[in-house]
Amino acid sequence: MMLLTLALVLLPMLAGIALLVARPHAQAKSIALLTSVIGLGLAVALYAGYDATNGSVIAFQHDWAPAIGLRMVFGYDGISLLMVLLTAIVFPFIIGAGWKKPLSEPALVNGLILLTQSALFGVFLAQNAFLFYVFYELSLVPVFFLLLRWGGEGRRAITMKFFIYTVLGGLTLLFGLVYSYLQLPAPRNADFATLQKVVIAPDVQLWLFWVLFLGFAIKMPMFPLHSWQPDTYTMAPIQGTMILGGVMLKMGIYGVVRFVLPIVPAGVAHWRDVVIVLSLIGCLYAAWIAFRQNDLKRLVAWSSLSHVGLMCAALFAANTAGITGALYQTLAHAILVVALLYLVGGLHERLGTAQLDAMGGLKARMPRLAALFLLVMIGSVALPLTQGFVGEWLMFNGLFEVSPWWTFLGVISIILGAVYMLFAYQRSMLGEAHKAGDLADADEIDHWVLVPLIAATFILGVYPQPVLDLLQAPVEQLLTLIK
Amino acid sequence: MDFQQLAHIAWLVPALPLFGALVIAALRNKLKGNTAGYLATAMTSIAFVIALLAFIAHKPAEQASALVHLFNWIDIPGMEVAMDLRIDALSLTMMLIVTGIGSLIHMYSIGYMHDDKRVNTFFAMLNLFSFAMLMLVMGGNFLVTFIGWEGVGLCSYMLIGFWYTVPAYNYAARKAFVMNRIGDLGFLIALVMIATQFGTLDYGAVMDKSSSVSMGSPWITAVTLLLFVGAIGKSAQLPLFTWLPDAMAGPTPVSALIHAATMVTAGIFLLVRSSALFALAPITMEVVLIVGLLTSVITATIGVFQNDIKKVLAYSTVSQLGLMFVALGLGAYSAAMFHVTTHAFFKALLFLGAGSVIHALGGEQDIRKMGGLKGITKTTYVTFLIGTLAIAGIPGFSGFFSKDAILMAAYQEHPLLYAATLGVSLLTCFYMFRLLFLTFFGTYRGKAHAHESPSVMTVPLMVLAVGSVVAGVLNLPHIFGGHETMKHYLETAAEGIYGEHLHLSVATEWMLMGLTVGLIALVIWYAHGRFVKKTTLDAEADELPYFKRLIARKWYIDELYTKLFEKPYGWLSTQLDAIMEKRIVDGAVNFTGSSTMRIGKLVRRVQTGNMSFYLLAMVVGIIGFLMLTLWGV
Repeated sequence: MMLLTLALVLLPMLAGIALLVARPHAQAKSIALLTSVIGLGLAVALYAGYDATNGSVIAFQHDWAPAIGLRMVFGYDGISLLMVLLTAIVFPFIIGAGWKKPLSEPALVNGLILLTQSALFGVFLAQNAFLFYVFYELSLVPVFFLLLRWGGEGRRAITMKFFIYTVLGGLTLLFGLVYSYLQLPAPRNADFATLQKVVIAPDVQLWLFWVLFLGFAIKMPMFPLHSWQPDTYTMAPIQGTMILGGVMLKMGIYGVVRFVLPIVPAGVAHWRDVVIVLSLIGCLYAAWIAFRQNDLKRLVAWSSLSHVGLMCAALFAANTAGITGALYQTLAHAILVVALLYLVGGLHERLGTAQLDAMGGLKARMPRLAALFLLVMIGSVALPLTQGFVGEWLMFNGLFEVSPWWTFLGVISIILGAVYMLFAYQRSMLGEAHKAGDLADADEIDHWVLVPLIAATFILGVYPQPVLDLLQAPVEQLLTLIK
Repeated sequence: MDFQQLAHIAWLVPALPLFGALVIAALRNKLKGNTAGYLATAMTSIAFVIALLAFIAHKPAEQASALVHLFNWIDIPGMEVAMDLRIDALSLTMMLIVTGIGSLIHMYSIGYMHDDKRVNTFFAMLNLFSFAMLMLVMGGNFLVTFIGWEGVGLCSYMLIGFWYTVPAYNYAARKAFVMNRIGDLGFLIALVMIATQFGTLDYGAVMDKSSSVSMGSPWITAVTLLLFVGAIGKSAQLPLFTWLPDAMAGPTPVSALIHAATMVTAGIFLLVRSSALFALAPITMEVVLIVGLLTSVITATIGVFQNDIKKVLAYSTVSQLGLMFVALGLGAYSAAMFHVTTHAFFKALLFLGAGSVIHALGGEQDIRKMGGLKGITKTTYVTFLIGTLAIAGIPGFSGFFSKDAILMAAYQEHPLLYAATLGVSLLTCFYMFRLLFLTFFGTYRGKAHAHESPSVMTVPLMVLAVGSVVAGVLNLPHIFGGHETMKHYLETAAEGIYGEHLHLSVATEWMLMGLTVGLIALVIWYAHGRFVKKTTLDAEADELPYFKRLIARKWYIDELYTKLFEKPYGWLSTQLDAIMEKRIVDGAVNFTGSSTMRIGKLVRRVQTGNMSFYLLAMVVGIIGFLMLTLWGV
């Protein structure tokens, strides 16, 4: 287990560095894909060797800077494993998204992508708060470079805004972690196992809650801290958006589960309704705005915002169904976002634009691509037997325990979600073909990327139990910590 | 095989059409000719045979129901939902309708869709629909039913918009899906409430536990009302009925199968399935009754003024569904299910007949341009005539018995209610005979060369015609020497069909029946005089006088919804993005940003504005920090 855990972090890191240094542009995507597929194999091996009833496993520990509580501790429980699997699953497809029409200097792009993946594995495997923080910040660095170098129009200003938001969130988080750490009796360390048992006065928790939560709320992002998101998602190169929406926003969810819920339970109890209401407002607000978006990529950005709003609300319901549902949904959402963005990228490649008013009638010209789009859309509106429905069903139940009204608000999103997705599908795919001429229909590579993602959506929608079993023990443990 | 063994293979009933759908979809570019049609028809036919065997083997007195456990679907502490199928009188009845009438419609489609380029896709969707509809009726708990519920909605969406190059059809498809989703909102919340209250969604367990709920409590009223909201969406009742007439954009077999015989009756099925809950909610029952009655009256009036052969039938369907809800509202569950059954026969027959006419005329749907077809399309005419007699409630035909059961229940509640339902019946009779006379009688007013359809289409018509005549036997009332077989059979469904005791005297029954029949005869005589010898075309809706125009324009309900909901929704979407988002949310952020910038001028030298520099500094900072601490120890 130790080897597997370390290899997950080190392999993409070394491969990434090698790509950045040697710059083998011609072979870069193959190397990156191979690395990420091996990563997926490692993650699956880790999962196969994990006994779900076991609780958390410490795979590797080493004192690093004990004076500040920073220890090199890697390990995992069911929640970490889910996040690791999620990261491992989507990255090969993210790399695949650059297969047909790579960005300039592919060695750098793929190198940065692998470095991001390494840091993300670090985030989800770290079992020490400060180690987590190091990876949490590191993961953004390659992404910033991706945005700055390969982003679209307005990339400097937009990245700057994103950067400021992130730094702000990062600093408050660091402060919150250090503060919490200092409340531990000496001798102390910042391992999760230790830190989660910290006792903090209830009145302190009221403000500490926001200090800890702010960064995660920005990362998701939660309404009204989202104004960096639509621009950044739209401007970023498609692979960058996939990383941001597919995996990085889950760091926000994960962070809440790891730190906010266990460290400041009284703060959570106090602010719970505020967070839930803001999240649900965001969920509906974003879905409403998505309806009239003309840029398909921007529409996906708003849609992601809407979905994550529901997840955040359910998380703060802080009960079995809510937390399990939100965590389950992270996987569903990752797969969905990558598939949707792949389609957007594919359309962009073919048409030179992602504007909906330049589309229409594409089904007549690309029936296979339209069929794939339809299947992804079914996942997006979370019909039963897709993954999304399992998550939503659990989340609605979780919210109901807090207040029937929150469920009511949440369920409205199933209408709004159908409204914008169906409208987008109609505007892009249906109708009379605008102009004649050849457009390449979905080819083999498109199928290699989309079919597994769609298959996963349906398989985990019909049989979600393996993932739910993974979550059961850690969620129960988390709930006993809160109470 | 005995019932238990057949129950064990009952999963094949939905699985076969699913298999067909997947195979045809995968090979849709390879299958040639009618292969896909034959395969799809074979799948539903085999499913029908299995359902029929199970029905025959089903001895309710020995074993009322069988629960087939497939696997645990969602299982976390406090929330266990199993993938279960429930085989009992109710689901068997629906299974026979779905697979039986479904198979006939599949077969008919082989002829009807023969020339369509995407015929393989069509059959994949039709089989997928059958799968979803069977999941809906066979589900052992509410959530499995919900799988089917959403699945049929998806198939309905795909099939309404099957001819996707026509913008109006795409709009109709989207409208149907969204309006159904509004209903699903209610359904889903009701499911959450039931799951929270009882800790289970299993039908048997919920019905058992419902005895602990007190009559008319706010909880039970809310749950049943929300379930009814779901039913309103799926079964196209007020205020969500406007999607169904538009859904006629789909190919005619789709209208017959989905939008007449099966899917739209899902709402009625749901209420019967949860009758134990509804029996505890008198307020909801009142609402169901009123909504059903209003829908049935309003849409019956609209049907009178429609000139599109399919639209007449569509409004008729909504109106008949309304009558079924009236029956449900009166607690006459078996009467509603009886009407579902007979309606499935004659309305499928009428739609397929209409399809045959449209096919014969090369796509013409306007009845003002038809006429005199009875000499040319003989089989279609005879079968359509039978369908019309059945829906009009001519004694001896199936519709007579099932509608009569509803009228009697209405009379028992209140004579005025009887009068209203009788009015709907007379309107039905009027617009149906108008349709019949304008289409098949008089002289031909169109231009296309008419011809009879091939036998692959006419054979299903004949089978359905036989069904439309004899289906009344299923529930023959006592005064005709029957035993209300279907009612007694349905009562064995474990969740119970409650509180149906018709206690009218035999004399009253005869009198009411006589009145109904007499009035119907008058209406037919009137319609005959008015439409048979018609040579002039009816005016367009806009040229009609005020009141008639109001009805012909469908009470302006569509226009009202567009103004009230559709337009403001889009407007608000734009405004939220332009004002709330760009000015307020982002404005606040930018203001904070620019104020900080002004302060930041002091440290201008560090602020080179170069992001890469910041990033580098950040990395160096983090690494330096780690190094320092490492050495520091």
